[in-house]
Amino acid sequence: MNDMRIVERTVDTHDVKIDAKDVNVHYGTSHALKGVSVAIPDKTVTAFIGPSGCGKSTFLRCLNRMNDTIASCRVDGLIALDGEDIYDRRVDPVQLRAKVGMVFQKPNPFPKSIYDNVSYGPKIHGLTRNKAELDEIVESCLKKAALWNEVKDRLHSPGTGLSGGQQQRLCIARAIATSPEVLLMDEPCSALDPIATAQVEELIDELRSSFSVVIVTHSMQQAARVSQRTAFFHLGNLVEYGETGQIFTSPQDPRTESYISGRIG
Amino acid sequence: MTDISANGAAPQVRSSILVQDVKMRRRNAAETRFKSYGLIAIAISLAILALMLFTIFRDGISSFRQAQLTFPVELSAGILDPNGARNPADLAKVTTVGYGRVLDVALLKALADKGIALDDPKQATALISKAAPAQLRNIVLANPAQIGRTIEVEVLALGRVDGYFKGRVTRETAERDPQIKPVQLDLIDKMRGAGLVALHFNWNFIFGTDASEQRPEAAGLGIALIGSAYMMLLVVVLSLPIGVAASIYLEEFAPKNRWTDLIEVNISNLAEVPSIVFGILGLAIFINFAQFPMSSSLVGALVLTLMTLPTIIIATRASLRAVPPSIRDAALGVGASKMQTVFHHVLPLAMPGILTGTILGLATALGETAPLLLIGMVAFVTNYSATPLDPATALPVQVYSWASRADPAFIERSNGAIIVLLAFLVVMNVVAILLRRRFETRW
Repeated sequence: MNDMRIVERTVDTHDVKIDAKDVNVHYGTSHALKGVSVAIPDKTVTAFIGPSGCGKSTFLRCLNRMNDTIASCRVDGLIALDGEDIYDRRVDPVQLRAKVGMVFQKPNPFPKSIYDNVSYGPKIHGLTRNKAELDEIVESCLKKAALWNEVKDRLHSPGTGLSGGQQQRLCIARAIATSPEVLLMDEPCSALDPIATAQVEELIDELRSSFSVVIVTHSMQQAARVSQRTAFFHLGNLVEYGETGQIFTSPQDPRTESYISGRIG
Repeated sequence: MTDISANGAAPQVRSSILVQDVKMRRRNAAETRFKSYGLIAIAISLAILALMLFTIFRDGISSFRQAQLTFPVELSAGILDPNGARNPADLAKVTTVGYGRVLDVALLKALADKGIALDDPKQATALISKAAPAQLRNIVLANPAQIGRTIEVEVLALGRVDGYFKGRVTRETAERDPQIKPVQLDLIDKMRGAGLVALHFNWNFIFGTDASEQRPEAAGLGIALIGSAYMMLLVVVLSLPIGVAASIYLEEFAPKNRWTDLIEVNISNLAEVPSIVFGILGLAIFINFAQFPMSSSLVGALVLTLMTLPTIIIATRASLRAVPPSIRDAALGVGASKMQTVFHHVLPLAMPGILTGTILGLATALGETAPLLLIGMVAFVTNYSATPLDPATALPVQVYSWASRADPAFIERSNGAIIVLLAFLVVMNVVAILLRRRFETRW
């Protein structure tokens, strides 16, 4: 359990992609997120870890304003994407979500064909001019999601007929088809078996070259394996945020240390 | 905790799993009892359904066959076209009285040819339905070239003749009947033997117009069918878009506040309002205020739409709610707008449920009688309605009005009309099931 494979990585100091300052989230009367400030760099995998109900998923959903769909949710503070406040009155969340894609905990392909699943985003955003371009996008996204070889002969069979791991990779292909700048992943492997998990993790590492990836995970091993930077949340507070190697080997905060060593959470 | 009790308890006798203990037996008995209650309930309801269908078919199926007189008729030009010009205007001037005389003469001649003797010619001519001259007139006017020739015609026999064939009229009832005498029943037997009168399939019952109290043999469902068809069409066209749009707005877009709660409660309550109240509403608003034509299928359809809307809205909202939220998340996550999410993903998945709700609403609307009585759709209509603005009646109203007439021949027709109504319903259901199949998808 404790043999976490901490790979010493050289962390490139990229520009800050998402800058969150003093973010507070309330669900009705409950205070779910308390003054969180995080600077997420570009072209990096950032992991959010922490026990259940610590606010990590809530924070993730703030980053593409998915929380707007919950009536009782209130978000204060500043979240900037490339220096632009995403909660500005002029921002249309629909447009924002094309730039900040999301992959959910449970694989949720549309009950349509594999092709339609991937092509849906480009279609509604008008990213292509003709069928050939669309075909190209579908193919390249499925290749990036490491699914192409498995489905290239049945692109028009339903996406819901795939196995769990394949469905999740299909969802990733769907999310990257709109060429987002940031990809948010909410526990993408929690419904998958170890083999599928390994495939998705490998994929995440490859995606890092094109996007900024933010991943919420329950598994500390996974955070250690895939991320360059890690944020530890506890009871709505951001306890510690830093390079993954440093968080797992020499945490500054006693709470981080107890969580990593398995005493809380 | 568990350790203590395990150690402290007396050593237990190990029970065999081959023997059921008392508690298990009791639980199994309860389960068996419950299953048998369920079976009994289903058996009773099936038996009642079967009984109902059996009585309807037993009493109603005969109305699809009708006693018809078949004999050659000489279309004498002297009566039917005195001017001899075959001018349609002149031909139209000859009333059914003239045609009645032609029929009487022809029937008496046919009887004489077959060698059937008569005490009184009236005994035979009275067996021709009062609706028969009009039938002959239609045949002639449709093809005036036949005038002067002798043609074989099939016309309606008197309702009592039909009743005699179907067992409603017997020699005992004929003693007391002003319309028919026992001696005429003997005549009918002879005519039947000569092939002049027999039961034939009765298209007129399905497509003909209603007829007066005195001529049940001529009464048909045509106008009721047209009225019901117009109304169902209009109800679908009006209530499905309005209902679905309202549900989508309430379920997906409307803020959850006191106003939407109020609207929700009111919609649920409207679904429970007695249908006759909708009839009064329709009378007050559509006829008295908006001045739409009385008895028209348009007004009927509007009233039924008001009745059907709550059912459709409730069913649609339930099926929208049943679409997994993960599908909405998925669509919003790739940057679909709320409307795109609803129309591309949520609505197609909710479609089977919406169709089920719609067909339930339509089935209720099809069988609804009370509100239609109030807006005058019970009127005696003898002209086919060309548009929904013309007076019409509806199938259940026709059932009601026939059932309340005195002549037992109308009771038979009332049961026959119920069969047609059920067939109408089955057709509608089949269409809905086929549509639902098309939309059904797994997720």
